[in-house]
Amino acid sequence: MSNQKTERLINLTLALLASKRYLTKSEIFNTVAGYQGSLETIERMFERDKDELRGLGIDIEVKGIDPLFEDEQGYLIQEDSFQIKPDAFSKEEVLYLTMAANLWHGSALHNQAKSALLKIQSLNGPTETDDVNLPVIKSTFDSDQLAVIFEAMRNHNILEFTYKGELRRVKPYGLYTRDGFWYLVGEEHDLLKNFKLIRITKSLVIASKSGAFTKPESFDLNKFIQDSQSSERYQAILMVKKNQALDLRKKFPVTDIDDEWDQMSCSYSYEEEFIQSVLWHGSNVVILSPENLQKKLIAKCRQLING
Amino acid sequence: MADTAAIRALRTMDLIPFILENPGISTHELALRFSVTQKQIEDDLSLVFLCGLPGYTPYELIDLTFEDGVVSVIDPQVLDRPRKFSNSELVVIKLGLQVLREIHADQPTKLAKIDKLFTKIFSDFDQIPFVSKNVMSSSPFYADISKAIYQRRGLKIQYQSISKDAVTERVIVPQGITVLNGNLYLHSFDLPTKEERTFRLDLINKCELSEKILEEFSLQNSKELMVELWVDQEMLNFIERNSSIIEEQIKVDNGFKVILKVSNLEWITRAVLSHAPYIKVISPTSLSSEVNERIERLLENYAFFARN
Repeated sequence: MSNQKTERLINLTLALLASKRYLTKSEIFNTVAGYQGSLETIERMFERDKDELRGLGIDIEVKGIDPLFEDEQGYLIQEDSFQIKPDAFSKEEVLYLTMAANLWHGSALHNQAKSALLKIQSLNGPTETDDVNLPVIKSTFDSDQLAVIFEAMRNHNILEFTYKGELRRVKPYGLYTRDGFWYLVGEEHDLLKNFKLIRITKSLVIASKSGAFTKPESFDLNKFIQDSQSSERYQAILMVKKNQALDLRKKFPVTDIDDEWDQMSCSYSYEEEFIQSVLWHGSNVVILSPENLQKKLIAKCRQLING
Repeated sequence: MADTAAIRALRTMDLIPFILENPGISTHELALRFSVTQKQIEDDLSLVFLCGLPGYTPYELIDLTFEDGVVSVIDPQVLDRPRKFSNSELVVIKLGLQVLREIHADQPTKLAKIDKLFTKIFSDFDQIPFVSKNVMSSSPFYADISKAIYQRRGLKIQYQSISKDAVTERVIVPQGITVLNGNLYLHSFDLPTKEERTFRLDLINKCELSEKILEEFSLQNSKELMVELWVDQEMLNFIERNSSIIEEQIKVDNGFKVILKVSNLEWITRAVLSHAPYIKVISPTSLSSEVNERIERLLENYAFFARN
């Protein structure tokens, strides 16, 4: 039974792909192998086949083909929507595509990379050079979750997951990566929010039918990311021991003060991050100003040693 | 769970252009590539013999040879090219090309080719709103390092160590490059100590490729220390960024107890200090003593500058 259905699905796809014109249902039923039984049975069979193929991303076009009979519809799979065009990529481009997909070997996106590689290798056979196997991207994120999010974004499904100890229901609008971590941008209780995917602690599921929401046309992912970053810069003066804090010296200019210390003028956006980068250098870096920043750093240190 | 008929149909259709470009491939190899059993590949191929275009005469059927475990396609009918990339495959390619772009940032010719390819693929890729905001530093030595790994040659590097806050000279045998948390890392064997070492590519200041091809050599086990920390729940970032060395993690009332396997004592000392007071050392006591001593010295400095 399963063999028969698989055969029929392949034959239907090939027939719709090979045809130069839209095929009517009766043409399909009369010519494509596998459609047998009463008219009602094969009609139901055809509807299910179409839905399953569409569910896997195959674009079956429908078009009215007779202006006098509106219900006479035709079906076709456009070559360009199904297959990669012949000579779409040069040999060198295939090499870059191979490298791009190979980067994910063994990572969270391994499965998606592997299926992309199979298609790339179906374009131009095996590609091997000393560059192709380098480097490898490591990430700890669960790729199955990513696949669910892609599906929910494509079909406009609401997602349900546990985040910071609470059950959340989110309309997924977009996805981005920063510093190797993935973030979901979605609407929850009429507010646009960021969710770091590594913090989703319980299974993420699709919790609605397709088309459960409409994404606002005004939503712009790049603008949202830009708006959620601080653009303000603050100034600080540091004392830095000679030949120390090499990473800070690479970023900011210093003036010579005495045999032991240099003075450094820095700018920063986030106070916590800046204090962390100063504390990293221990007694080799001291905040001179602003005073409130200096006080915060001292308080943090006292809190640590006093338990 | 067994594949649905539709998924099996797609895989079977994907097999045809793949075999066409890789003639004479074995069913064993196909099973590995398509992540299914050899029996499944053989069943899929048996099915293909019965599929083709309406008419279904021998001229309209997909024609392949399948003998002694080796397969070739004679007539693929319309399945002579692979299916278009799916959205999730496009995301992987997009991210990968962005990484390649950053790696080759200082090579204008390669960069132009990658950009052209990027435009070619992604001009109509707006179905899934997705962007990459990774900012990865490139390295002018990427090509040399890559060559050293492939040809098993040594490298003499000058490295600016963040944990030691010093510039050092190293002789290493590079093993592989990984991208982690948005940075490129080089995993290597340090020749003098025969221990594993990891370097951030953008902190390599100089790099010289050795002419000599290296023989196999035995590796000493790096000295590793188990460190137990309390991490405040607000410092989840620390746990996420270091998940690869976390051996155990237990949720406690106001944070987490974590056990890390650490090979760089200087790094963990600075990491605890920089996250004060949100990370505390539970054990070993020698580490908490060292952190406390550094804080005492640091506070003395603030007192000194306050007086002067």
